Amino acid sequence: MDSSPLILILASIVLASTPLIIAVCGEILTERSGIVNLSLDGTMLMSAMTGFVIAFETDNVWMGFLAAAGVGAFFAFIVAFGSIRLRQSQFAIGFVLTLLGDDLSAFLGQNYTRIPGPVVNHYAIPILKDIPIVGPILFNQNAIVYFAYILVFVTWFWMFRTQPGLRLRSAGDRPEAGFARGVGINFQRYLYTILGGALVGIAGASYSLNIKIGWSEGLTRGFGWIALAIVIFGGWSPIRGMFGALLFGATKALATYLQRTFPEVSVVAFNAIPWVLMILVLLLVGSDFTERVLTIAPKSLRRPLQRLLKISPPQALGSTFVED
Amino acid sequence: MQAFFIRHPKVWRAFDILLPFLATLAALGVGAVMLMAFDANPVVAYGALLEGAFGSTNAIADTLVKATPLLLVALGICIAFRGGVINIGGEGQLVLGALASTLVGLTFPDMPGYLIIPLALFVGFLAGGFWGAIPGFLKAYFNVNEILSTIMMNAIAVQGMNYLLKEPMIDPVQLEAASRIPQTARLSAAFDLPRLVPTRLHLGTALAIIAAILVFIFLWRTVVGYRIRAVGMNASASRYAGINVPRNIVLALALSGAFCGLAGAIQVFGLHHRMFTDGSATGFTGSAGFNGIVVALFGQLHPLGAIPASFLFGALIVGANKLQRVMQVPASFIIALNGLVVVFVVSADYWRRRMARRREAEVVSEELISSEAEVPT
Repeated sequence: MDSSPLILILASIVLASTPLIIAVCGEILTERSGIVNLSLDGTMLMSAMTGFVIAFETDNVWMGFLAAAGVGAFFAFIVAFGSIRLRQSQFAIGFVLTLLGDDLSAFLGQNYTRIPGPVVNHYAIPILKDIPIVGPILFNQNAIVYFAYILVFVTWFWMFRTQPGLRLRSAGDRPEAGFARGVGINFQRYLYTILGGALVGIAGASYSLNIKIGWSEGLTRGFGWIALAIVIFGGWSPIRGMFGALLFGATKALATYLQRTFPEVSVVAFNAIPWVLMILVLLLVGSDFTERVLTIAPKSLRRPLQRLLKISPPQALGSTFVED
Repeated sequence: MQAFFIRHPKVWRAFDILLPFLATLAALGVGAVMLMAFDANPVVAYGALLEGAFGSTNAIADTLVKATPLLLVALGICIAFRGGVINIGGEGQLVLGALASTLVGLTFPDMPGYLIIPLALFVGFLAGGFWGAIPGFLKAYFNVNEILSTIMMNAIAVQGMNYLLKEPMIDPVQLEAASRIPQTARLSAAFDLPRLVPTRLHLGTALAIIAAILVFIFLWRTVVGYRIRAVGMNASASRYAGINVPRNIVLALALSGAFCGLAGAIQVFGLHHRMFTDGSATGFTGSAGFNGIVVALFGQLHPLGAIPASFLFGALIVGANKLQRVMQVPASFIIALNGLVVVFVVSADYWRRRMARRREAEVVSEELISSEAEVPT
């Protein structure tokens, strides 16, 4: 039962999606507070490199994750400081940091490429792992995967069911109203940008310590942008974001499978599939396209479909707030 | 100092324009401290940088050659930013322009150069424009985030390039040899852009400068350009004024992509004379599609400002290579130096704006005082 190929494939999809799930949760926290951290791609490369190097030197994966979270938090702090204090364009800062992270990780990690290092230990949860089908897929993994599940739930609960979460959302949705009610808008933005950045850092390290074990130049290149797209796909909700990440993982697995089945089709076509798919996803979910299509749906169906598909970003996303 | 600036508005304007360069000098100053940490003499090091960038006719020519694609991409970025959209797809648009123009050159190997060169450059321009128009269309009519879609379009362009250069467009010589390096055959020598002096400097540089002037005229002296800027400044006001907002967003991104495509075509016909790939975009573009964004920001998103900005960055890239060879400093220093320049320029811009606000406030208060003095008592 455990080793049926379908279950193995599903388990590998869950494993491969965890870094994206963690990064998406981090970026959702950041964007819900009203700041776009565009530097995800560079941050993940830097933290993947740092995480591996530190874990290699200390021979302790958790030190690696800690260092990676620190790097992520530092990059996020630059974005927050630049946009709040210096009032520069968040996009410009994030973009420059993306380029910087890419180059810097390639240079600083050049002595550590393609060597084996420590990995996160496999740990099956007792009892839960014996549940048929679900058990081997979800609970026969390792600590980082379990951390991702818990994170999704905690992020959702924190944002939508607690007072601090309300303050966080007020900073991104109605900063003036929140400020009038005594919320320190810019404090919230600093806090959640840095926290989100630390999570992105952990996501980067979970590539180099858990999935594509080891470090090589450009190890995680592209995944940061995918995570940013999934945030939109997920409608700034961690639970939907998680499904987005799993869906992306599934299409990648499908592409690999199709590639083996149809070897005569060029590899390039399959490499391009995820990107084309992401554009289509942005078109379908993150845009007005759905609205247009829904007008032809029967009236009784329109409401629930709209609830399901329609999403709107935090209203003050990307704008600066001046406290005075 | 404040009072001096208020009395001489022309001086402060000149100061504003010079500020990015002063910021660059300050960044180089910090770089000097870092060089000393590497036990390198900063005077010798910067001497090497200057010599590498300007030391000989060849060095200056190399600087200009490096600056050419940066300038063209920066022009595209200026148009997009002025139109209120952000184009991060320069890499992909550059690749598309290069591919399309190479295809023209390979298809008509026996035609005269004076026909093929303009045709190929124009086709490159169109191809880049097409690649930019897709995210523009998605943004304008379906509100798809253009930052993400242009990034995805980059990845798709790179995959397409890898496929074309490995299979249909590969050099027949490479096909016979077992090596199969993914590159096209060299284009006919009749299609080489004319060299200006006996160096690597080619006509493309002059074309880029002319393009900068044309973009300036287009944006500030024509109705179409005015509409693009109006949409960028305030989309809802433009809609009430009867401007077709979605059409202008598509146009801004299409033109933006077109100049990146032209940069690709000029790289092929002026410099490489063939198309090649190392599997990523950087192999062919040298990251010009990304660095052009920094250049555009440095030139304060003004087409004419982009000319000196691209020259400066070209010099930094060429000179830094020389510095690295001569002084044996790690490559990270060069990256850090580029980063420092960007950080200093960005912060200087913040400081400039704060100064401008304070000056305006003082001008107003001085006028108030003088107008009160005129009130008869």
